[in-house]
Amino acid sequence: MSTQVHANLTEEQVRQISGDLDEPDWLLETRLEALEALEELEMPDVIRTPGRDWTNLHELDYESLVDPLNAAEDKDQLGPDEVDVLSWADAVDEHEALLEDHFGSVVDPQENYLTALSTALFSTGTVVYVPEGVDAEDVTIRTEQNSRSLFNYTLVVTEESSSVTILERQSTGTEQDEQYYSGVVEIVAGENSSVQYGSLQNLSEDAYNFTVKRGETDTYATIDWIEANLGTQLTKTEVSTELNGDSSETQIVGAFYGHNDQHFDLDAKVWHRAEHTTADLVTRGVTDDVARSVYEGVQDVGRDAWDTSSYQRENTLMLSDDSEADASPKLIINNHDTEASHSATVGQIDQEDLLYMTSRGVDPRTARNMLVEGFFVPVLEEIAVDELREDLEEQIAARLRKRE
Amino acid sequence: MARLELNNLHAEVAEGDEKILEGVDLEVESGEIHALMGPNGSGKSTTAKVIAGHPAYELTEGEVLLHLEEDEFGEEIEIDEDQRTWDLLELEPNERAALGIFLAFQYPAEIEGVTMTNFLRTALNAKIEEREELFEEDDGEDEEEEDEGFESSPMEGPADDGEVGVAEFQQILQEKMEQLDMDEKFAQRYLNAGFSGGEKKQNEVLQAAILEPSIAVLDEIDSGLDIDRLQDVSDGINALRDEQGTGVLQITHYQRILDYVEPDRVHVMLDGQIAKSGGPELAEELEDKGYDWVREEVYGTA
Repeated sequence: MSTQVHANLTEEQVRQISGDLDEPDWLLETRLEALEALEELEMPDVIRTPGRDWTNLHELDYESLVDPLNAAEDKDQLGPDEVDVLSWADAVDEHEALLEDHFGSVVDPQENYLTALSTALFSTGTVVYVPEGVDAEDVTIRTEQNSRSLFNYTLVVTEESSSVTILERQSTGTEQDEQYYSGVVEIVAGENSSVQYGSLQNLSEDAYNFTVKRGETDTYATIDWIEANLGTQLTKTEVSTELNGDSSETQIVGAFYGHNDQHFDLDAKVWHRAEHTTADLVTRGVTDDVARSVYEGVQDVGRDAWDTSSYQRENTLMLSDDSEADASPKLIINNHDTEASHSATVGQIDQEDLLYMTSRGVDPRTARNMLVEGFFVPVLEEIAVDELREDLEEQIAARLRKRE
Repeated sequence: MARLELNNLHAEVAEGDEKILEGVDLEVESGEIHALMGPNGSGKSTTAKVIAGHPAYELTEGEVLLHLEEDEFGEEIEIDEDQRTWDLLELEPNERAALGIFLAFQYPAEIEGVTMTNFLRTALNAKIEEREELFEEDDGEDEEEEDEGFESSPMEGPADDGEVGVAEFQQILQEKMEQLDMDEKFAQRYLNAGFSGGEKKQNEVLQAAILEPSIAVLDEIDSGLDIDRLQDVSDGINALRDEQGTGVLQITHYQRILDYVEPDRVHVMLDGQIAKSGGPELAEELEDKGYDWVREEVYGTA
């Protein structure tokens, strides 16, 4: 509780944000309650290994980072006609009942200090609503941050037997010394619907980023996440699915590449809470220079989760001796009728692999880059959205080319 | 013509002081096939790895020289008189490859996510480029700097540049794969990933066929091959010699492959040295009598 922003955060500011968006009273109340709760709330859990907290969220100077009334961004929110892809203000106007049903239903606004801060202060966002039976591809959301802080909110609701693929990207337009991006994403996947939500975070390397993305599935629903992190000085994210419906499924695919002194704290979580559910968690990442990555993956199989299948793999490749990586896959099983696996590795480029390639004439630099690009292929192959895959591939290749 | 010359080569494991090679003398010339035989642990594989430039070994004495004749790389590469002998121990593995050295690994690496086609075309182009650099006239000192500027262009990827283009390479690859009786699906598979032992060995010979080495060292290329594949692999090795004039140093435990790939010379390695050399009949003798008689003959003890 050492870091607080109360000094420059006021109820008036929150009222002004909500008023500018023409929000109904219940929403204003939710925001004000979140603001008030800041005093009591803790920072989100960070990953700990013996003797060490990997990520220090208290060290951030929120007081100077958070500038709620001067949010500025450049945003695209595009999608096919048969789905609603709305700015937050339009959604408030057109879909109030939908928001009242689902806003804050997956991620509790008062889950921790940073979610509450985000709830109190978000001034922009996107609502994607997919009506029953509609199959929609190519919903794209692009946010370019131009201000000191930006609080963003995304809600996806899919009705029965619909499907949608969404690509949401964050980058920085006008750069400043330090910037703060906060994002909350909630997905409510209706019965037998399917969502693929891909995220590509490529904010400035001076930026801080806090993001929670969580979805919940109804019966036979599927939520597939792609979580790609390339930017920021410090990223703290959680990507998670609550498998609440029988026979529902989720996949969490992660890719990250940290260099310079970037720091990534990445959580992937799945809660199996119904019968016949399946989860597949696959993350691959690279650390270079003095970058640090810490990954925690949790598969939580509940007491009533009969016939669960749950798989998790994480691999980190360290390109430098001074980078650091830690990964811990966790499996909590409260129902014995479970087929599960979990593994994590942290390693360096295999010298025998390198020699094999150089002995055929490939110079060591190209050989190493090919090995790194090849290392990401198993996660790239899981990405159904071509644009996201190609974008990510290109950015990885570009970062590799800049080395040495 | 090219000639690989090992003189009094001594090597030990870089981490630790275990001596492995204790004075190896050996010469292999273009168009010749040499078999290198010997019991396990005698230093055969180490010899192969040292020639390729494996970083796990420290060379404590001796030299590995490659002698090239003027026309070794055709008309386009002019080899000056002072560029005809190379001390391989001074060169990186990829530079050795550019000069025409090829090592077929006993246990080829499995490289996930890199397709055969992509890898082999990259290797072929890198080899051509490196060779041009090695034989470049000395007056072009500023060339390196130009390269740096090149790299800063964000769209410049390795994918589509290089001497041999995608279409041309596909054709070369297809042709060589047919010769070796390999399924064309291999071209799109990841390099050795999930290949059977035999497929990996076949793939090593395919790579040699594409890279056209002056001297190829084949480390137990025959192990784990069934009879049909042994035939394919042997045809591939003979084609290297007959069509490209490659000199072959073939490391093997078995006479079997020598029935298909007839060696000009057979060498027996014992305790880190070449203990005995002879014609093809030596291999047959070894097959009958084992290695102990060589030891006896050389050291006078059993």
